[in-house]
Amino acid sequence: MNWLFPLYLAGAAAIIAPILLHLRRRPPQDRVEFSSLLFLDAQTPVPVSKRRLENWLLLLLRCLALILLALMFARPFVQNESTASASPNHATLIVLDRSASMRRADLWKQAVAEAEKQLKAAKLTDRIALAVFDRDLTTVWGFEEDRNTPANRVTAAQSRLADLTPTWSATQLDRALIAAVPSFDSSTATLKKRIHLITDLQEGTHLDALRTIAWPAELTLKVHRIDPATNDNFSMALAAREENGSTDALIRIRLSNTRDSALRDFTLAWKDAPKTDTITAQIPPGASRILTAPPNSTNATTLNLSGDTFDFDNRIFIAPPQPRSVRIHLLGKDATRDEASAPLYYLARALQPTDTLAPLLTADEKLPAQAPDVLFIVGDAPAAGLRDYVERGGFLVTVPSDATLLKAVTGLDLTVAPDTDDEYRMLANVKTEHPLLKPFADPKLRDFTKLRFWKHRLIEFKKPQSSLETLASFDNGHPAILSGRIGKGTLIVLASGWHPGDSQFALSTKFVPLLYGWLAAAGFSHDPAATLLVGDTLPFDATQTHTITDPENKTHTLKPGETFTATGIGLHKVQSPAHTQVVAVNLPPDEGRVLPLEPQKLAEYGIKLASASDTAATSETTDQRLTATDTEQRQNLWWWFLILLLAVLLLETAIAGRSRHSVPAQTA
Amino acid sequence: MRIKSLELRAKVVVEGLWKGMHRSPYHGFSVEFSEYRAYVQGDDPRYIDWKVLARSDRTYIKKFEDETNLRCQLVIDHSKSMKFGSQGYTKAEYAATLAATLASFLMKQGDAAGLTTFADGIEEHLPPRNRPGHLRRIITELERPAKAAGTSLELSVGQLADLLRKRGMICLITDLLAPVEHLEKQLALLSAMGHDLVLFHLMDRAEIDFTFEKSAHFRDAETGTERFIDPQIARETYLKRLQAHRDTIQAATDRHNVEYHFCPTDRPLEEVLFDFLSARQRKKASKSSAARVAA
Repeated sequence: MNWLFPLYLAGAAAIIAPILLHLRRRPPQDRVEFSSLLFLDAQTPVPVSKRRLENWLLLLLRCLALILLALMFARPFVQNESTASASPNHATLIVLDRSASMRRADLWKQAVAEAEKQLKAAKLTDRIALAVFDRDLTTVWGFEEDRNTPANRVTAAQSRLADLTPTWSATQLDRALIAAVPSFDSSTATLKKRIHLITDLQEGTHLDALRTIAWPAELTLKVHRIDPATNDNFSMALAAREENGSTDALIRIRLSNTRDSALRDFTLAWKDAPKTDTITAQIPPGASRILTAPPNSTNATTLNLSGDTFDFDNRIFIAPPQPRSVRIHLLGKDATRDEASAPLYYLARALQPTDTLAPLLTADEKLPAQAPDVLFIVGDAPAAGLRDYVERGGFLVTVPSDATLLKAVTGLDLTVAPDTDDEYRMLANVKTEHPLLKPFADPKLRDFTKLRFWKHRLIEFKKPQSSLETLASFDNGHPAILSGRIGKGTLIVLASGWHPGDSQFALSTKFVPLLYGWLAAAGFSHDPAATLLVGDTLPFDATQTHTITDPENKTHTLKPGETFTATGIGLHKVQSPAHTQVVAVNLPPDEGRVLPLEPQKLAEYGIKLASASDTAATSETTDQRLTATDTEQRQNLWWWFLILLLAVLLLETAIAGRSRHSVPAQTA
Repeated sequence: MRIKSLELRAKVVVEGLWKGMHRSPYHGFSVEFSEYRAYVQGDDPRYIDWKVLARSDRTYIKKFEDETNLRCQLVIDHSKSMKFGSQGYTKAEYAATLAATLASFLMKQGDAAGLTTFADGIEEHLPPRNRPGHLRRIITELERPAKAAGTSLELSVGQLADLLRKRGMICLITDLLAPVEHLEKQLALLSAMGHDLVLFHLMDRAEIDFTFEKSAHFRDAETGTERFIDPQIARETYLKRLQAHRDTIQAATDRHNVEYHFCPTDRPLEEVLFDFLSARQRKKASKSSAARVAA
């Protein structure tokens, strides 16, 4: 048996106290209150030592309790042969930060040099691995390779490190450490495990996920923080981007200055913008300001910040406005845009061009040569070719006057007849959860009670069918809006038109949102381009083939089903057979928060940190000490001593209590 | 003694006894309804039975309500020795409950009860009455903690003789842990004054058997004197002297026609009360038979 703190064993000498107390000759202390001594005479006290002889068991228990207490504090452990080896080997994982913040000054060089130093310091009997991280952990030199060719480790790792540079990603240290824990494979089970983390440990480092894991007790983390000469830095992030119609978009920028920064003055300007279009202002240390971007007279896509030392976070990329054209055709006789009673009149006014969408509305009694993206049919129209149009992916909205067209497109046996009832109808049972009615998903927009329909058609199916779904019905139970997929396309059937001859629909607030909802369903979303950060997946329809050109002009061809994760900042060109889109990808804003954290911060997440004095050349005594501590912590023998101690104390209390209460009346 | 309220404790004992008395020779004793009496001028109109007046249009008075034929003075020892107890309660608590029970019982059957507490002299004195609220006053007085030190039976009983001019019953409840040589004189005086004397001698079980085992310093509760006692050695002498003390008391009470009840505090109160009533009944019967013989 070994002891972690053998000095505590001296505490066992305290047993002298109960022995002395038990042997001490003292007059009897027991006092009994009695009603009257009228019938009692005084006697001479009997010698104490004789009376105390019967308490030898109590004395024994008390001494035993003190000895157990001393043994418990001395933290016993049993050292077997493997743990008793003089100097344990280490399994060391070097984790190197290569996030965007490591682009500052020569931080990356310093970090690589530190990693090489650790590699060289390791003994051949040690196992060592090297990994880099930003958003994820990537192994550079694994434990498996190290076991096979330990002599090559320095050369190989150096050559691989030479190929690496800092990325533009955020510092997700939490994910990296969580991934690092299982990288210690079975070959390292008997070794002393440690991680050497080489990082700038900036404020923007993500640590929250560390709360979700229990850090292994046998794994220690040593932080090698790389500090630049100065931390003065302005950082910039896109705060908001508002679409304000056809004019320039309003862009708001959040600017921050680091605490204790010596810098104050900054300049904000679009790339290649004239001096008149720049903003020069001040921001105090530790403050954050939101500014409107300067005028963009040159239609630039890069907003630059200047005035600080590090420029890795001084650019914001804004994708240029890219209105997407959508061809919409109204097939029918009533194709006039000037009469308020005509359906086209309302379509022309509702479908106005925006920053993201440029509707091209045409009307004729015939289909145009190039198939439109969205086709409206009100009343009679030749049914020829319509089914093909829908099956190939067309989007058809029709207000039928009879069953001919619907039969031709759907192939269903149905009847369409005008409703003879003079009563107006209202909508009921609107399925707002359906994608085609997505604009009304918000409960605040679901009030359809002001919408009245004067004239509608009764659409009845002779056989039960499932290809057309009723999205909304009238209050008499007949379908109002039907929808279904036919081939690759979509068919929407309206039982009543939107023009005033049929209903109040076009004049209601529901009409424009519904139209744009349908356009979105047809693949022409009105939503502005999302603001993307490095590490995000580019948004595009993954069912088609795409070609992506990244900011470094490298082309990536993606097959259907493949996605693309942005790794660099700048404009990405996403090309599909039908459409080309430019997407801006920016630096994660947290990377701009460069003030260093104290390594002790990691201890708050339960990580076992190596002490500051614990260097690579840890002394053998310290190693042995740590091994002993680990062994003791694994064995936890002191618990058994504690349990034994409690048992002895309970027994002592019981025996002492019984002897005290042997004469109950005496305590009365 | 598990019931905290003294009043409730007394009530429980009396109610139990009352129920048990239905088949006893005491049925109807003293509280039996006498009669309605027609109201005459000069009667206190407070005693008119208005229900009868409403029913019969005649004015009657409940005659018996204010009448009593027994005045009982309960005399309680409040000395410090009464604070001893090994049963979970003290002799003082037992005495208070006994006194409250007796007072409650007597007042329930229409008799008057009073209370005197004493230690080295008379502490409190409530003359015998049977009025609404008087029982409450007695119980309040009984609940008051004792404050005196030693017991002076001679002085206290002497003072009591001065206070009680009217004849009646005197119930003396004490542990009698004091020299009783002079007590006999005072008992004789009270007996000669025509009082009917009842002595309840309370003792704790530990006092009766001296059940202590471990040697210790024994401290006199009244005088504060300490003596080292080994119970194994002292027990025999103690028991002999106690028996002699009790014999002396018994002899004195017999001589002066004092009704003596020895009450270990582990004895149920109902039994003590029943013994007391039985003894009263026997005494009454013997008196009446003696009267018949004389006649």
